[in-house]
Order: sequence, then structure tokens, then C-alpha cells
Amino acid sequence: MLTTPVPNPDETLANRAFDALLWALSRPGLPRDLPTAGETAIIAALIDRECRVFSADPALIPLLAETGAEIADLPQADHVFLGALGSLAPLSQLGLGSDLYPDDGATAVIRVNLGSGDRLRLTGPGVDGALDLQIGGLPGGFWQARRERIRYPMGFDLILIDGTRVVGIPRSTSVEVL
Amino acid sequence: MSLSTLTKPWEAMNYGFLDASAKRELRRKMLKAVAVPGCQMPYASREVPMARGWGTGGLQVSLTLINPQTRVKVIDQGADDSVNAASIRRFLARVSGAPTTMDTLEADLIQSRHRVPEEIMREDQVLVLQVPNPEPLRPVQPNMSIARQMHADADYGRMWLQLYEQILRSGRVMQGASYPSLVNGRHVMTPSPIPRWDVPKLNMAKHLTILSAGREKRIHAVPPFTRVEPLVFDDVPYRVEDHGGLTCIRSGATGFFMNEIPQEDGTSAYEISDSEFGVKTIRAAEGEDIRFGDTWYKDGEMPQ
Amino acid sequence: MAYVATRGGDRAIEQSERLFRDAMGDITPARVAEVKQALPYLIDRVMGEASLYDEDLAALALAQTGGEMFEAVLLLRAWRTTQPRLSVAEPVEQQDLFTHRRISAAFKDIPGGQVLGPTLDYSHRILATDVLSGGTFRPDPVDPADNPAPAHQPSVSAWQAENDLVDLPEPDTTEGNDIPDLTREPLLFPSKRAHTLQSLARAETGGALALGYAAMRGYGSAHPTVNELRLAEAEVVVRHPRGTKFSAGRVKVSQAEVVSKKGEKLDLGFSATLGWNEVKVIAAATLDLNAEGAPKGSATEEEFFLYHTEGVESSGFCIHFKLPHYVTFQSSLDAMRDAKAKRKAAETEPAE
Repeated sequence: MLTTPVPNPDETLANRAFDALLWALSRPGLPRDLPTAGETAIIAALIDRECRVFSADPALIPLLAETGAEIADLPQADHVFLGALGSLAPLSQLGLGSDLYPDDGATAVIRVNLGSGDRLRLTGPGVDGALDLQIGGLPGGFWQARRERIRYPMGFDLILIDGTRVVGIPRSTSVEVL
Repeated sequence: MSLSTLTKPWEAMNYGFLDASAKRELRRKMLKAVAVPGCQMPYASREVPMARGWGTGGLQVSLTLINPQTRVKVIDQGADDSVNAASIRRFLARVSGAPTTMDTLEADLIQSRHRVPEEIMREDQVLVLQVPNPEPLRPVQPNMSIARQMHADADYGRMWLQLYEQILRSGRVMQGASYPSLVNGRHVMTPSPIPRWDVPKLNMAKHLTILSAGREKRIHAVPPFTRVEPLVFDDVPYRVEDHGGLTCIRSGATGFFMNEIPQEDGTSAYEISDSEFGVKTIRAAEGEDIRFGDTWYKDGEMPQ
Repeated sequence: MAYVATRGGDRAIEQSERLFRDAMGDITPARVAEVKQALPYLIDRVMGEASLYDEDLAALALAQTGGEMFEAVLLLRAWRTTQPRLSVAEPVEQQDLFTHRRISAAFKDIPGGQVLGPTLDYSHRILATDVLSGGTFRPDPVDPADNPAPAHQPSVSAWQAENDLVDLPEPDTTEGNDIPDLTREPLLFPSKRAHTLQSLARAETGGALALGYAAMRGYGSAHPTVNELRLAEAEVVVRHPRGTKFSAGRVKVSQAEVVSKKGEKLDLGFSATLGWNEVKVIAAATLDLNAEGAPKGSATEEEFFLYHTEGVESSGFCIHFKLPHYVTFQSSLDAMRDAKAKRKAAETEPAE
């Protein structure tokens, strides 16, 4: 009655990107490869007209607008594209959701340098014991500000990208600066 | 903007049946479920070409994750060959072109109704559990709004009280399957009606488990290396089903979860519930070169 | 390979489906057309519960499932969910409905008049058994009225509002894509008004009736008076990308407004659905009327009736109990046996 459908290029891109994101957030600190560099594949996998998005990088706005997503102010956005983060200010405005609906907490995508910069030790769900890694390109005091802001299960989840590399730091992860 | 940028070439059916927007919603919710282990995340839950209550929640997750290279295994009550497992497996293959398998070791994605395979799952595998009732508090609070508030407040007193009353009345916790378990020290979840035998397999596992209730429209997850602790009192330890000493009459396998088969003479015989593990055991006994994975239980005991 | 014999799952489900379909034979365009023409109220019921207005698809779904209503609705819902949303139609106002039938039990006469329209209400329910012995039941021709009823009427509640008998709800100015859509978002409580009305619109008729009837019998606090019941056709007005509005066609709709006394004012309950289905909209409007302040867990509490009138979910869950449950059953047996053994052991031990 029906022939088996084949994935179109959009489907393949989104599927692969999500595979990387799901892996990355399930195993905080372990890098994974996105199918393409930058935010494009993440947007393809996650963003559509049902989202409210904020972008600090004007270059992403046309792509985000094309998805039909509502371009919103930072505190109202469920998906936040911060580009390379220059200051800590946006961190204090990220949506945390509520105790009733922690899923309303924002997902923030930030460009970083993996493998250089602050030496961090991660513990928590998804981490086998403890995991050490280096993440650079974030403003000073970032990890402390994050810790002070998150009131688990309320909080925000970080998707950190460096070219095609992606690292996930969900709200459940404890980050210690070594 | 022109009309052509808004439209796509017509397709008889979307890849993996679900349309792109349904998949994106599921992806967003799966990430949140992983970020807050054990917390139930609401999602729209689309209708799929199967009846509600027949694995539609697990199916939506599988349809979102699947691609033509994903090797899929489907389990119903431990068996790959039962009718609904066959139906779901056939549907997944038909709408995705994905290859299927019955061997736990070969699978990338395992959709299961109420069993975790006996062979240890690897970090590159995902387990999708079908969930009829995602709310562990329902026996003490059927109203979902109130139950949600109780989770928000980590108010699990009535849950503990219920377990305590069972011990007083019956000398033990009477919960059969769906044993309520504390995830990451914060959220009590139902592990879905997997037997008590299977709950410890989720604790600090290497694989990701996604639990999805299509009819009730809730999704929750247990990431790898996450604490899953059955609710127990210090002086009344958690007890799995007393199956460690049973032997499968068909395969001879010993020390795994069994199906009890009533016999005409009033006694019971047992068959291993993980049907493919039984098949592999039989084949190995017949001299075939079979690859077994390491098992969670060894000699009927789960090593701590 | 002892297990091979039991590996008949694939073949078994294939053959069982063939058995079901074999009993009904070929599904042809003629059969679908006959279903559509002969059973318009069944088509309406299925379209309403599926929240998909397409008489041909509904007739096809009924033909394909042999009239198994829950299956037909599921078939349509599963088809519907994959369809793109091209446009959001303009709101439909009561006074713009092309009205076939419109009655009020609250007043003997109402502005715009009572319009009895097509109904079996006053028919004597006698089977036309002659048909079975070869006769043809030929309905008597309709005599047109001297003064045809107007096609459009004002709403009864508008008159009541003018006379300060009822406070109409605040107009909701939400437009287009911002209107919450139950099929794209989960139902959460307290429910958004749009979600409540959408959920009632696609409620299973029997379920809405059962709970609505419970409310009518006294399990709800408010006793309904049918303020206005309408069977009508609504224009589906959409906006062309160039900005012009046009009607893309008409759909049959039913709506009911029920009222009850609340202090010095009337309280309103409302329901509407696709297709003509009077029982459903009266029952659903009664539930809506009773929802405010209903005790948690009562039949008239919103969470209770919205969950339990969802036909695809309730019927699916009901039939899922046919699936094997031997793992969960085994797990319970183990706990029961162990508890029994513990009790026996305690009984034989001497008391301290």
C-alpha cells in the first residue's frame, strides 16, 4: 500500500544534529560532532513556529525567522542563541521555568573554545564519577554565576559549540572550576 | 519571501511518519527530560496509526530518533515475537527503512514494553520504554494537577506512608511492577511497569533510557550514570522477584526473570522472559557460535 | 530450535487483519459514496470526534473499519496529525451562522424566531419494517413555509446581556497562530479556555453524554436550561496572502448554550463541534456550565471530564488490556506469594 519513505536532506540534518545533542546532554562534558558547524543544525533540529527565540547574534535572525519562531526578548525566550558570550549579563535573564514546569527553563546555545581555558570538573547525572575538561571563551565568573542562578529543578541548559563540536551542560550538572 | 520558500515537495508520507514539527517538539522535550532526570515533561503527543495504550508514546520517540541506519529491536513483555512487538517492529521498518534485529547486542535502539533486556546495554544504545501511567503518585493522588504540585514540592510523604502501611499489613512492600524510584535524589518516577528485577538495571547504567507515555502525554528520562533508587526503608531492603533460582524449561537458562507457565498437574514450569536470550541459549546448546553479552544478573544475583 | 514454533507473530497479525477485512470485501468508491449519502449523522459524529471536516475521508474511514467508530476516528486523527496547517480561519460569529435549526427552551419566542428545522424529535420511533419485505420507505415531501425563516439570527445570550441577565465572557482577541491548539500542545490544568472548548469539541459523544448526564442528574451543582441550540453551516473564511478574505467553503457545525441561575445572573455553559450532533453539544455545554468551582475528582471537574471524554485515548487504553500483561502479573504474584509465606511463618512461630 505504501512505499517506504526516504529522508530528505532537512530530515537527515535535523536527525543527525539531534543525535549529537541528545548524546551531549546525556553525557555532560563529552564532546560530540554536529553535522555542520555552528548553530544551523541545532536550529534545524529544534526550532519552529512553536518556539520563542532570542539571538544575540544578528546574523542568525533571518534563519530563525524563517523557521516561523517568534523573536522574543531574552527573559521570554525558550531557546536562546548567545553567540560568543561577552558578558555575564544575559545569564541573569535566562528563563528558569518553574518548580511545576521545569521544562519551561531555557536552552542556551553559546560559542566557546573547547580544550582550552578554564579547567572544569563535572559531576552529576550522565557523568561517570567525575569528568575534567577545559572550556574557554566564556566571561570570568561564568560558572559561579550559573551555579547561583540555577535552583534545581528550575534552571537552564547549556549547549556549548565550537565549530562542529558540541558539549552539553544540563542544569543537573555540577561544575567545579579547578 | 515567496511561496516556494514556505512549501516543500509533496511526499506521500513523512519520513518516519511524524511530520517535522512533531519531531521537533519531541526533541525539545527529550532534551528537557534528560536535563531533569525523572521529571515528567508534558508533550503534545500526536496520534499515530496505532491505538493509544499500545505503545504510541514509545513509538513517537522511536520515530523521532530513527534513521535508515538505526538497527531497531522491539520487545513486548520480554518477547520479540509477540504480536504487538511484531506490529510495532513492522511499522517502524515500514516508515523508516531501518533494519531490525532481535539480538540485544546488535540493536541501536530498543523499544520495549515492560522489560529491560538481560544483557547489559552499552553506551551507544538507547532504551525506549513504553509507559501506560507516568505518574507514580497516582495510587495516592489520582488528580494530576495535585500530583504535579507534590512533585514540585518533593512532597513524597504519602508515597512513603503507603509503602509503610503495606509493610505493616502484609509484612512487605506489595508493589509488583512499576516500583516507584527516586531519580538523581530529587524526582520520584515510575520506571514503567518493568518488574522489580529490572529496576536496578537503570541505576548508574551506561545507556540512556527514555520513558514515554503517549496517552498521558508525558515523557521522562534516565540519563546514563544516574542514580535510580527504589523507595525502601533502611530496615526493609528492596527485593526483586524470587526468580534467581529458576530454570527455563526450553533453554535451560538459569538466573533470569521468568514467565510462569501453569501445568496440568497443578505445578508450574518456567520460561525465560527475555525470549531472544532464550533463543541464543538454545542455539548455543545446539552448537552454534553465538555471541552473548555480559548480563546484569550473574547466577541470579545483581552484583552491587 | 524450540522457539521457532512460537515465532508466528508476524504471520498471525497479518492473517488476523485479513480475516477482519475479508468479512467486508472490496471497498469501492461506490461504497464510500453510499456511506456518505446514507449516514450523514454518523459521518458528522466521526468528523466531530476526529476534529477533521471531510465527509469523504470520514466515509472512507467508516467503510475501511466496518463502522467501528473508535477505529474510524483514530484513522482520521492519525491522518490529520500529519497534515500541514496552511491557514487559520477567521472566527465564526453566531449571527453569521447559516442556521438550519435553532431552538431555545428558555423563551417561548426569541428574536429571530424558533426554527425547528430537520429533527426526529417529534417522530414516532417506529421501524419501517416494510422495507425488509421489499417495500421502499419514501419520505413525504417537505412543504415549504410561506415565510421562510431568516438564514441568520442573533444570539439569545446577546439579548440577555442587553437586559443584564447574563455577563457575557470577555471577548478573546487572540488571533491566528496565537490561539492555543490542543493538537500541538499538551492539555495542562487549569486548562486554557481554547483547550477546554477544543477538547469538548472532539470529545467522544458517549463519554460526554455519560458525564454530562451525571451532572444533569444532580452530580453537578447547576441544572441546565437550553438557552439556544443551533445546527448550522459556518463559512470557513481565510485570508489570501494578498490580504483579501474569502470563504473556502462551508462546514456543518452544532453549538449549544446552556444557562442556569447563579445569584441575580445567569451562568453560561457553551460547546460547539464540527458536524451536527445535538446530544454531544448539550451534554458538553452542561459540563462546561458545571466546571467552575467543581470539587477535585468530581465528574464535573474540568480535569476529570476532559481526560475521560477523550475517545481515542480512553478506547485505546481500554483495548490495550487485551495485550499480554504476564510480566506485571508475575511481579505481583511474586509479592503475593511472599507475603503469604511470611504470614504463615509468623503464625507458626510461637508468640514472644
